[in-house]
This record gives sequence, structure tokens and C-alpha cells, in this order.
Amino acid sequence: MSGTILTLARRLQNKEQSAVELTKEYLDAVSRENGALNAYVHLTPDAALAAASAVDKARLRGEDLSPLAGIPMTLKDNLSTDGILTTCCSKILSGYTPVFDATTWALLKARGAVLLGKTNMDEFAMGSSCETSCYGGAKNPHNLERVAGGSSGGVASAVAGGIAAYGLGSDTGGSIRQPAAFCGLTGLKPTYGAVSRYGLIAYASSFDQVGPIAQTAEDAALVFDAISEKDPLDSTSQGRREETFPLLSQPVKGLKVALVKEYFDGLAGSTTESAIQAAAETLRAMGCEVCELSIPEISYSLPVYYILACAEASSNLGRYDGIRYGYRTEEGWESIHEMICKTRSEGFGAEVKRRILLGTYVLSAGYYDAYYKKAQSLRGAIHEAFEKAFCQADVLLCPTVPRTAFPLNFTGVDPVETYLTDICTVSVNIVGLPGLSVPCGSDEEGLPIGMQLIGRSFDEATLLRLAHQYETARGPYKSAERGVRV
Amino acid sequence: MITKDDLLHLALLSKLEVKEDEMDALIADMESIVAFADTIAQASGGVEGDGLPTTLENVFREDEVRPSMDRSLILKNVNGGENGCFVVRTRKQAAR
Repeated sequence: MSGTILTLARRLQNKEQSAVELTKEYLDAVSRENGALNAYVHLTPDAALAAASAVDKARLRGEDLSPLAGIPMTLKDNLSTDGILTTCCSKILSGYTPVFDATTWALLKARGAVLLGKTNMDEFAMGSSCETSCYGGAKNPHNLERVAGGSSGGVASAVAGGIAAYGLGSDTGGSIRQPAAFCGLTGLKPTYGAVSRYGLIAYASSFDQVGPIAQTAEDAALVFDAISEKDPLDSTSQGRREETFPLLSQPVKGLKVALVKEYFDGLAGSTTESAIQAAAETLRAMGCEVCELSIPEISYSLPVYYILACAEASSNLGRYDGIRYGYRTEEGWESIHEMICKTRSEGFGAEVKRRILLGTYVLSAGYYDAYYKKAQSLRGAIHEAFEKAFCQADVLLCPTVPRTAFPLNFTGVDPVETYLTDICTVSVNIVGLPGLSVPCGSDEEGLPIGMQLIGRSFDEATLLRLAHQYETARGPYKSAERGVRV
Repeated sequence: MITKDDLLHLALLSKLEVKEDEMDALIADMESIVAFADTIAQASGGVEGDGLPTTLENVFREDEVRPSMDRSLILKNVNGGENGCFVVRTRKQAAR
């Protein structure tokens, strides 16, 4: 299997291997595997070795180090990294090098994290397959004819492919949980406000959250605890309520887990449904009370999400004008407006342009009330419906995605068909709740299936505890048998 | 129904150019997405609020000047700019 953070940390602590040796092992694996996976889009080998060397020296001095110290990892290409290219996998940000660090990366760097490079994603995080990236999509290590998922597909591909121990992604409508599910990994979308968004390049600011994609719930808890501090640089940041890692072994007996009927529409008899039901049986055997409930308002979540997220995107992406950074058209122009229009038209890909146009449409005179205002009021209604559901249950259970990983080039078809696959994840972002995807089986072709656990606001601890104990009961999940093995 | 004029108006507001040969496909995609968004028209029972778990409050502080990012850093992504400014030249100016 690939090395988990805890396994690798023990090797480093016991001096079986130095951080520099471990980093070299990962960099060699990246050289071997990345051609097939297309997970990394910018590599940082020199900085990685320098960071690893600093950890080794600190260990020699007898300093008390975090378990994350010296562990090779990756960041999605929309997290700002001082001095390292950050392009959101878009031509419009080609050549852009931030001059500051995202808070999440600063927190990990302070704990000795070793950044191997930046990973592939759908352009500006808009997509479910990683295929809207200007670098081409990342592949699924379990089957190279399948996508890694999106938008944080590069992080998931790297971690499942054994070329990063863990990574940070961002999740606006499922972009951490869906690729985690497609690649057989554990992915946490924290509560809105639990993790700072400072330095995360915005897609839809009232939905975006940064979180870990890791091999186990234990690893995800370690990383979540490290990045979830209140940050004065993000006015919506509140930080975590409690450290989650020390609580992983607290009992789960008596926890009420509810299967939500609406998330199973159209799945009767499918391998996905069977896998979730089998997981529910395991939870029952662990002492949880498993029941079923209904949240009819979920049926509005997809249109509500696409209206509001595109509206926010059309505003957020207004800043890309070719003047201050990134790409500028090389064609001639006679006015600033013409230069900006040409730059944006050449710099953005088709999906990004579609979402900007839709966002502009729902915000424009004559349509604002019917679309934006209506969607915003339904957002409130969906929030109330979830609050009621949490009077009956401690955790909600459903598939992360109604299907397993798409074949390559899936998203070239009708955009709405692709949007529909986000049904189980977007409602969680609409109401800002924490959601965790955990591998719970595989389909006839051996492709991973993920189950989603949804919790109360700022109750990541319960989700991670339940997932950790489920993973222990389930046993080790099958590895893609690539990259660094331990 | 979205017409070509509608699309051109939206493109203007969005600071995007739409070429003639892109129009039909883009209109078809937009109509399909807008029809999908229209499914909320029948929904009843909306509630005020943003549906988020964060409770934001206004927090005031003294309006004091504090150090900000260095100008030379900000200009790094345009090769330093000129005299502390971003520079945009039209084709005519660039040719001089």
C-alpha cells in the first residue's frame, strides 16, 4: 500500500529514513508515474529537498516536530504559493507567481510539510472531471482510461497514485469529495468558516472551502487539525471547534446515522446503492442506530447551486483583465475594453466562459428576482430542512457520487448531464456543512465507490471519528499499486 | 429562449467576445442550462438568509494606516512595471 502520513511519520521519527531520503523516493516516483497520471502541473523538487533537509536538521537538534514534518505532499493549483507558479490550470493565469502564501499552506509549511509541486484541476475549479484544465485532465490511478474526478483531480490522482502522501484541495460543490470517491481516498470538505480561504483563488466565495484529501480518516484528521485555525485575513474564518485527532477513538455506539432517501433516487439495484447499504450494516454492527429520513428540499439543490455559484463566479472572475498579472492578448487593440475582452476570450476555456455568461444572465436586469433572489431564498429553505434533519440524526449517510469514475472525455457531452452527477455533494456546500467521503466498496470493474457522511456545523470530529472506526472495521482499502509502496 | 442579441449583450456585460461560429453551440448550451435553472420557478417556501453556519458580525477597529504589500512585489508579475505603474499600450503606442 501507499504510505499514510502516520506510517511515514513513524519511519522518520524512528530514524529508519531521513526526510531527504523520503523526499527523493517520492520525487523518483513522480518522475516514473506523472507521465501517465498527469497529476502534477508544476514541480518544486529543489524547494522540497530544502524543506526536507530543514526537517532533518531540526530532528537532529531534538526539536519537537509535528507528524506532518518531512511528509511529501501536494497542493491544488488554486492555492497561492509564494514564489511558485499558481495558475488554476487556466491560460489566463499563465506565468502567474504569487507573492504571498495561502494561510493553509503557511500553516502546513510551519509544520515542516514538504511540497512536491502543484497539482492539476478543472480550470478555476469548474468541472467534475479535471478535463477542463488547460494542461489536460489527470488520470485515475485505478484505471488510466477513467478520470480522476474534479475539480481537485490532480490531488486525488497524486495521492492514490502514491506520488504524494496527502494533499489539499478545495471544494465548492464536491471538488474534494468527488475525486476522493473516484480514486478510493478519504476527502473532507470542512464546515464553511472552519478553514481560512485566504490565498485560495476564488470560484464562488460563499461555497468555497479548503480541505484534505488523504488515504485514511486518521490522516485527514491530522491535516484538518493543522489547517483549521481562525485567520484574521479571512473575515468568514472561525476556526475549528476542537481538535479532531485526539477524539478518533471515542465511542460511536448510539450515534444516530440516517440514510437520506432523496440521495438514492434512481439508484435502486445499483452497485453504488448496495455498497452504501453494506456500509450502513457495518455502522449498525459498530453500534450506530441507522434509520432513514427524507429531505425533499434537496431536489432544488442543483439549480440553486448552479445559479448562485455562477453568479459569484461571474463577479469573482471579473478581476482577470490582463493588466496586473497573467495572460494578455498578443493581438492588437485600440481601447482598454477591447484588450480586456480579447484577453478574457482567449484566456478562459469554454466551461469557464459558459459559467460567467450564466452568472451574468441570472444577475442581469429582468432575471435577478426570478433566478438569483429565488435561489438565495431556497438556499435558506434548504438550510432549515437540514437543521430539522439534524434533530433526528447525528450524521447523514449517502453516496458521494451516484456513479463511479467517468470514462475519459465524458464532459464533452451535454453540460447539464455532467452537472447532474453533483447531486449528492452540492447541497452540503449550499448549507455550509461538513462532508466526508470514505471508500466503501468497488463496482464490477474495480472502480472505487465512496460514501458521504454529512455532519452538523463544526462537528468534523464526529465525522472523522465515525469514518476512522468504519475504516478500521472495513479493513485496508485496495491500493492502486503505484508510486511509493510501504 | 436566448437570441443572438441576448448572447451578445451578456458577452458585452461579461467582457467576453463571442465569435459567429461559436454562437449556435453556446446558445444551445445556455438554453439547456437556463431550462434546468427554471425548475426552481415552481418551488415555494423560500426563507431569508444565506443558509450558511457562520454568524458574521460587524467588527470595527481604529482606522489606522498599516504597512501593506510592497509595491515592487505587486509589480513582480508584470516584470516590474514602469515608474511604479502597470503599463498597457495600444498597438499604435507599442509600435512607436
